[in-house]
Amino acid sequence: MIETTLEDFRPMMERCSNCLACKWLPYEKIESRRFGRNCPSAAYYSFNTYSARGRFHLGQVLLDGRSEFTEQAVEAIHSCTACGSCDVSCKITRYNLEPLAHNIALKERAVELGKYYPGQKAAIDCLEAERTMLPGERHSARTDWAKDLGLKDLTREKAEYAFFAGCQYSFGSGLAEKARFWAGMLRDAGVDLGYLGKADMCCGGRAKQMGFKGAFEKQAGANIAALKAAGVTAIVTPCSDCYHAFKRQYATLGLEVKTLHVSELAADLLAEGRLKFKKSIDMTVTYHDPCHLGRLGEPYVPWDGVEKKVLNQIHTWDPPRPRYAGTFGVYDAPRSVLKAIPGLRLKEMQRVREYSWCCGAGGGCSLSSPELSSATASERLTEARSTGADAIVTACPWCLRNLEKAVDENGRQMKAVDITELVALAV
Amino acid sequence: MALEREAYRAIEDIVGKRNVSEDSSVTETYRCITSQSSAHYGPFNHQTPRPQAVVLPGSTEEVRQVIRICNRYGIQFKVASTFWAAMGYVGSDRAIQIDMVRMGGVRIDAKNMMAIVEPYAIGAVVQVEAMKFGLNCNMAGVGCSSSVLAGAAGWMGFGPSSLFMGIASENILGAEWVLPDGEILRTGSLGSDGSWFCGEGPGPSTRAVLRGWQGSTGAMGVCTRMAVRLHPWPGPKLIPTYGEVPSYKADGLENFRTYTLCFNEWEDYARAFQLFHEADVIYLGHRQFNMFGRDIKGAMLKILVDSGGQFSDLLPLMDDPYVKSENEKMKIDVQIVLAGLTERDLAYKEKAVDEVLRQTHGWKSEFMLDKEMRDFVLLYLLRLGRKNLNYTLCSSYEGNFGMSSNVFVAAPLMEEASALKRKWEQDTPHIAAVGGDSDMGSMSGIGGGGTTGWEFFVHFDAYDKDSIRGTKEFIDDSQRWMLSKGLGADMGRWNADARREDGYDYTQEEHDAIYKNLPQPAIFEYQWKVREAFNPRHLTGSYYRTKTPENVK
Amino acid sequence: MAPKESLVKMLGEERVIDDPKILASYAETRSFGPHFAPWLAVRPDGPEAVERLVGWANESRTPLVPVSSKGLKIRGDSVPSVPEAVVVDLSDMKKILSVNRQHRIAVVEPGVTYGELNAALAEENMVMPMSLRPKAGKSVMTDVLEGEPRLNPMVQWSYYDPLRCMEVTWGEGVRMFTGEAAAGARDLESQWADEKWQVNVAGPFMLDFYRVLTAAQGSMGIVTWASLKCAVKPLLHRMFVASANSLSELEGFVYRAMWTRFPDEIFIMNRSQLASLLGKTSGEIAVLKPLLPPWTVAVGVAGRELLPEERFEARSKDLTDIAQENGLDLRESIDSLDGDAVLREASSACVGTYWKDLWAGSSQSIFFVTQLERAPLFLKRVTELAESLSYPVGDIGVYIQPKHLGSAYHMEFTLPYDPDSARETRLAEELFDAASREIAGLGGYYSRPYGKWAGIQLNKDAQSLLALKRIQGIFDPNGIMNPGKLAAV
Repeated sequence: MIETTLEDFRPMMERCSNCLACKWLPYEKIESRRFGRNCPSAAYYSFNTYSARGRFHLGQVLLDGRSEFTEQAVEAIHSCTACGSCDVSCKITRYNLEPLAHNIALKERAVELGKYYPGQKAAIDCLEAERTMLPGERHSARTDWAKDLGLKDLTREKAEYAFFAGCQYSFGSGLAEKARFWAGMLRDAGVDLGYLGKADMCCGGRAKQMGFKGAFEKQAGANIAALKAAGVTAIVTPCSDCYHAFKRQYATLGLEVKTLHVSELAADLLAEGRLKFKKSIDMTVTYHDPCHLGRLGEPYVPWDGVEKKVLNQIHTWDPPRPRYAGTFGVYDAPRSVLKAIPGLRLKEMQRVREYSWCCGAGGGCSLSSPELSSATASERLTEARSTGADAIVTACPWCLRNLEKAVDENGRQMKAVDITELVALAV
Repeated sequence: MALEREAYRAIEDIVGKRNVSEDSSVTETYRCITSQSSAHYGPFNHQTPRPQAVVLPGSTEEVRQVIRICNRYGIQFKVASTFWAAMGYVGSDRAIQIDMVRMGGVRIDAKNMMAIVEPYAIGAVVQVEAMKFGLNCNMAGVGCSSSVLAGAAGWMGFGPSSLFMGIASENILGAEWVLPDGEILRTGSLGSDGSWFCGEGPGPSTRAVLRGWQGSTGAMGVCTRMAVRLHPWPGPKLIPTYGEVPSYKADGLENFRTYTLCFNEWEDYARAFQLFHEADVIYLGHRQFNMFGRDIKGAMLKILVDSGGQFSDLLPLMDDPYVKSENEKMKIDVQIVLAGLTERDLAYKEKAVDEVLRQTHGWKSEFMLDKEMRDFVLLYLLRLGRKNLNYTLCSSYEGNFGMSSNVFVAAPLMEEASALKRKWEQDTPHIAAVGGDSDMGSMSGIGGGGTTGWEFFVHFDAYDKDSIRGTKEFIDDSQRWMLSKGLGADMGRWNADARREDGYDYTQEEHDAIYKNLPQPAIFEYQWKVREAFNPRHLTGSYYRTKTPENVK
Repeated sequence: MAPKESLVKMLGEERVIDDPKILASYAETRSFGPHFAPWLAVRPDGPEAVERLVGWANESRTPLVPVSSKGLKIRGDSVPSVPEAVVVDLSDMKKILSVNRQHRIAVVEPGVTYGELNAALAEENMVMPMSLRPKAGKSVMTDVLEGEPRLNPMVQWSYYDPLRCMEVTWGEGVRMFTGEAAAGARDLESQWADEKWQVNVAGPFMLDFYRVLTAAQGSMGIVTWASLKCAVKPLLHRMFVASANSLSELEGFVYRAMWTRFPDEIFIMNRSQLASLLGKTSGEIAVLKPLLPPWTVAVGVAGRELLPEERFEARSKDLTDIAQENGLDLRESIDSLDGDAVLREASSACVGTYWKDLWAGSSQSIFFVTQLERAPLFLKRVTELAESLSYPVGDIGVYIQPKHLGSAYHMEFTLPYDPDSARETRLAEELFDAASREIAGLGGYYSRPYGKWAGIQLNKDAQSLLALKRIQGIFDPNGIMNPGKLAAV
């Protein structure tokens, strides 16, 4: 049975062996001292308490009543960017621990007890009122990006694909145009596409990653109903958070619709010759793997089983439990899109794919822990700059926003671009 | 118990507010849960004491100032970096934990083949920085996740590479220590002109008092910087890998060879070790995968090499006729890696291995010659990045029958030690039933050969109180058996004289009682005198073993 | 009771020496440091006698100076630096207590020489790794304990390899074993019966007792046996040589060779040093010197029991290639310089006149450890100093020996002089003093601070000095062990 409450994680808390692999890249992938760390909060706050191991231990401490939800405990809990890098590193060797799920369970317990930050509350209140996680935005303006585009409104018409822009692409300055671009381009390439019209709203995925389980479930329920009513066979989204929400979080609630990131669809269209890049872009870029598209973007595998010990004490699961270790995340599609752009040169950073460094915006940390969020983005820019690239490209608007406003360790900015921007220039 | 406000404020002033905490959420998570983490004094269902504060110094000077505060107020302190074992945690309620996480520097002096490291430079990063210059570092069996400096200063530090590269303590060159009284000692050439290359002298080596054989276990001040000797690395600047997470494999290291050597008899095994100790052919030598247990190691390897592998595959794989038959052939085995520094060198080493096998009636496991298996094992042994596989079967392990001595004594005892463990596996449900023999360890416990560095792994469930208790009973039985053979302390009880079963420090009276009947008690009497000279306020706990000299009342 | 009577009662008449001539011989040294003839000398016959002796010395506050080698005291470390001392002459303790082929360990008493040990080891197909052409009467144990550089640094995983365990009576009178041997009964026979062969040097717990004794010049305690790691005797063994016009030209090759660890032996010598090593008389040296290259690197390659030919072939060819890559021609001989002759002389004991004295009658050596890349700097400054003092630069011998797998390099300047010439003696001393100070100023490290170097070195590092004092206060609280050697301590 999948663990749902903090108490359910007690066996994992006691079985974590304090190896602290959760603070580093998979060791065999470390290329340098400078860029060897993986966990933003452990790297920023330094105390072990802020690592996945620390949180397993903290979980025990809190359940045992040996500490209250003190100010520092709340900081340690909410400073998890929910990026999942600890999860990958842990699963290099462990087959019975789920550190990311536990981190989120800790957040949920804190939220239940009212232990969260004003910035988080503002976003959740906005979600409740305006169906978006972006305070200040109005639901009435959510689908303005689709005006006059002629897209099918799925509340009235049928289409194979639902285009789900997500909050950032719906409202963001400079991003709404990109949503418009993607939707138009895909449609022009022959994809049978629509959007949810007035039923369009936030996926709620970030609320879940912040520990606001109830708010998430409310959003998910509404979205699942809308999607089911629309009868689409697939969702396509330019937002990695939304991608993760539909593919993994909604799947646990029974949504059985194929989910695609626009980069996946674009890669397919390129391969089929339905999309062609005509213009050259003379630029060297490096690609930042969004956590929710990469290691957290693996397909959901239903499981309902129990632990079973064999040979006295060896832990197995009956039936075998899916291991989300980042193996099947979306890494190659955005790279193949970039590589297909004439003139564009792709240089890789040291921390990529399943062991990529987070941008710092995950887990709602840009709301709860802005200093951590900014330091994490700064670290990424420093790494990006070390490749010699002119720009850092990503496939997630949350990453983009965080990277855009950051400076590297030397106080220098770096051009951060959405993959859309390059695709738009190249077609 | 809270620290005096003055002491806490002083520490805050030294390291800055954000680098010290006495919040219960932090201090509680700096306790060692002795069933979850390697303790080497027995698996217990308790935690070490809660430190009064956790302090993260950022420089040698900050360390010194914090220790001076400790001296002033009589506060014990314990230093750790990567927190692998119980020895890194405090042993009293009147103590602070010093976490060296902020000091992680590494500098490579390529020409002179050394790395100058700070405490939080883990093996993985020292190694990759060294490899850029054609160099490698000894990686202690604890794995690349642990601090190189802590391994060298605090414990023995042998592993796959120690036959060729020497063990951690042998690789220490110049070192900088903040002594328990707050003075800074720089050993060897470092003290006089800042050169790191020599850690000895002038005259008698002051390093004598810093670590010994067993290591200081964080009980002789804080080592803040150290030069460690590096060794040849005839591979690329970065080891290329292939394969999906988590089954990464080394890619294209053409001048390396990876073999599992197998033998019919332990006598042949010991003789092969002797020949390898005498010859300069082995780059890495470790009995590695037997740590899972004699009966299951082949099946486990099949799981690990496959990125989709699951432990639920274990029993079917164990029944697979091919795996079963190959596993049986690997009953008495050791993994080796040859590194060709030149083509001739590799050819010579290959021949030498074949000749040793000829003389000892050994063979190379075919099962382990499969390309993916070979590449997996090569990456595993080169990087030692998977130490947590020690825990993977049941979630925890402890060492029992351990031999850091004569291979000709240890090897013939293997079957008896296996039989004892197998009996416990069969008679109780508390430890994993993996075939008795779960011996693993280094081809040599010292550089150039001469001793073993072996221990049996006992796998148990840290979440299962019966399993913890049963494992402790087994280790006690193992200890009785070892004593009956005159073999000294069982690995699982190595630190049983350093920390009480309840996790607290021993008193001096308790230590005196333990050590009074030793054949040469002067050892601990001199350690008492050294403590009096360098740690007069006794601030570092009872891992520093002492016996009150007879003439001191 | 007078000292002599006490000692006679304790050790027996025949073991106490008060013959002034013999006592005077204990004070014969090359060292420019202070030296005194002892008041008495004793020859204890075993550890128990040593233990009693040290107890007596503590009670009577008598300085004890242990001596293990026979013949001239080159460094002066075993010559009393204070009056009223008793020399503890261990040179007659010559038992080879065990030779174990399986673990390649020999346990020797202090008086055993290289010749004696190697004869015993040969029966077991083993050999003791050598320092450079030691005196025939040199104690192997002391040679190793004092850290004399070995010709084969590739088997030095620890700095003091091949030293392993010891039995020591500390200055405070406590007798114990060190290293692995200290963890068991203080009885070798019973340890051997338990198959314990004194292999591991360290500890045994958190204190490296052996390190207190290394390079201590007998100032901490008296060692009565030591176990030593031996090597398998080569079946094939040759030495190759390459020449260069300057020291710097050899640097690349030596660094690379050390990286590979292919050499069995490796060292560098200049023309004067090599001529002294090879020549049997000053006349031979004079003839040889102009025939030798300015600088030579000598590299030994051996083949032992396991595939001797294959190993020899692979190693020698690879080293030749490495030399070539570094602009050197590594060969079995260069003109009149025969590699095997170098090996033979370097690794055999010196009978008769000490080889460094053949050229001028006497010599002084300045040695320290450094890194190879810094060696040319020391050479330059010592040469400049010699020139400024009108010391014959061409006479200065230079020997560079990698230690400890190459992490440190022993660098040694030999300054020959005629001991019968007051001018030459004075000049040599002047150069010795000036160069010693200059070397220290440039970062040369006197890890073995004999004589005047003790003050120079120890005064550069107050904290180490303080720590050393604390250590000495533990092991020799009454300061009876060879006082005055670590002068500043």
